Amino acid sequence: MPTLSRQELLEKVRQTLVDALSVEEDEVKEAATLTGDLGAESIDFLDIVFRLEKAFNIKIPQEELIPRDILSNADYVENRRLNATGLAALKQSMPHADLAEFEKNPEIDKISDVFTVGTIINFVQAKLAAQGSSG
Amino acid sequence: MKFVLVDRITELEPGRRIVAHKALSRAEEYLADHFPTFPVLPGVLMLEAMVQASAWLVRQSLDFAPGLVVLKEARNVTYKSFVAPGEVLTVESVCKELDAGHSSFAAHGHVGGREIVKGQLTLRHLNLADTDPGLAEIDERNRAAQRALFERLMAGPAADAAWRG
Repeated sequence: MPTLSRQELLEKVRQTLVDALSVEEDEVKEAATLTGDLGAESIDFLDIVFRLEKAFNIKIPQEELIPRDILSNADYVENRRLNATGLAALKQSMPHADLAEFEKNPEIDKISDVFTVGTIINFVQAKLAAQGSSG
Repeated sequence: MKFVLVDRITELEPGRRIVAHKALSRAEEYLADHFPTFPVLPGVLMLEAMVQASAWLVRQSLDFAPGLVVLKEARNVTYKSFVAPGEVLTVESVCKELDAGHSSFAAHGHVGGREIVKGQLTLRHLNLADTDPGLAEIDERNRAAQRALFERLMAGPAADAAWRG
């Protein structure tokens, strides 16, 4: 598959989210959060992952998109917040996410705010690049 | 899975309010996919727990007249936190309107003091015989099954022993 521009990626991801979440195209902006702005709830993430795999012909192991073993690791979480070690681990396992806002108040109940349309595009872009380079 | 999302009812004010509970077990099959290494009650099932709690209030208040109580509309459903295995989701649903055919509720769920979910629900009540009189027997079976389950949900362990015995 020829390399897609970010705009082309956005269009394709946008269509995926419109189909999965029954939202209008103009609601799907890069900064929109999947849960807060687009109304996704947990089971929608399974649907979105499935559709992205089909749309881009990639494999998305769930733990790559959302590092759940960090969120449920007692060494990383205190009083439902990530500690410094946990935050470092999260950053390392989520290079596709912008964690600047989340870092200010790293409550595990707020982790879904990290998932913006932009996060999804970054993730797909990285996956496609890795696939391309491995031939 | 068995689609019963209420394990116990502890408070019920006919026509007004109900408090019900759903315990989450690690053994529930759908948790294997939702999500691997991070089992949590799916948001849609939190919503269903709120719907079922509200439906029990409808049935008890209408003396089990409707064979079917279904969700017609859910509005402003927001999710604040998640429910992990070993936790109990407590649902409180307050009835805003109730007549023979429809009802509306403001419901919310929490674990201990931690807010989990809330939403506004509209339910529809009906019998299959409303549109096909030939199905009246199914309605009667539904009503009887709902009454029996309700007794067990209300009374807890003592009622379970009586049913077995």
